[in-house]
Amino acid sequence: MNSDLVYGLVTGVLFGFLLQRGRVIRYDKQIAALRIQDFTILKFMLSTVVVAMIGTYFLYDLGAVKLSIKPMIVGGVVGGGILFGIGWGLLGYCPGTSVAALAEGRLDALWGIAGSVAGAALYAETFPWIQAKVLTIGDYGKITLPQVFGVNHWVVIAGVTVLAILFFRWAEKKGL
Amino acid sequence: MSRDGWNPYVAGSLTGLVSVGSVWFAGKYFGASTTFVRAATVVEQAVAPEHASTLDYLVKHAAKMDWQAYFIVGIFLGALAAALLFGDFKVEAVPPMWRRRFGNSSVKRGVVAFIGGVIAMYGARLADG
Repeated sequence: MNSDLVYGLVTGVLFGFLLQRGRVIRYDKQIAALRIQDFTILKFMLSTVVVAMIGTYFLYDLGAVKLSIKPMIVGGVVGGGILFGIGWGLLGYCPGTSVAALAEGRLDALWGIAGSVAGAALYAETFPWIQAKVLTIGDYGKITLPQVFGVNHWVVIAGVTVLAILFFRWAEKKGL
Repeated sequence: MSRDGWNPYVAGSLTGLVSVGSVWFAGKYFGASTTFVRAATVVEQAVAPEHASTLDYLVKHAAKMDWQAYFIVGIFLGALAAALLFGDFKVEAVPPMWRRRFGNSSVKRGVVAFIGGVIAMYGARLADG
């Protein structure tokens, strides 16, 4: 087993452990977030985003890491986001972490995993049409928010961090 | 044991640190959906090999146990370890919130979960996420 695979396994174990401890791989928690009843999931996700954003850009400034920027294709990102939201609401698990839900004993996640593989196969089936008709709508290439606003990335990082903290305070005050 | 779990800000922040470490040491950002495409390739090559070879998207995502595949295996093992360690492991086919609204049928729940999985994964791939 080469080092890449060991890194994958160890990183996954740590992530899976924290997902379980954060109680975020539960149907009831995920759906309660979508029903605006319990924001455990959002607190977990936004905390991850803020810490990862600060840490990754800090290392980027030191020249220690490369960024992985996805292209902003409106047809793909907006269309895909809407479909993902509908699917997430029905499944009640995020497809990627549904294996963690299964590990907790949630057998319905197995159906979701099977459906996710079928969804990937369906995407492969329709890919030629999607590539020609949807992934050509509003293709802005690999852009970032700092580029769009024309500011240093730390301005955006500070802004997102402040918004996240304000959101956390609001959520705590509302008891969500 | 603690059925309440950890504070989500703490668990989430620690996850952020794990993500930063992954990018730093392995050059890998978290991701999972490509592995579902590779799994689809495995299934289609088994049931309809000729058709599979005509689909560029599956040819491009050949079956492979790469960093991400091991990442997903790790997620399963890590969650299993935590669930067992903290007494959270519980076999359950129908989640409580679903049962209160839609009843106790695990088939009904399974069919909707399957359809949800299809749509969510289709959307994830479409958004390149």
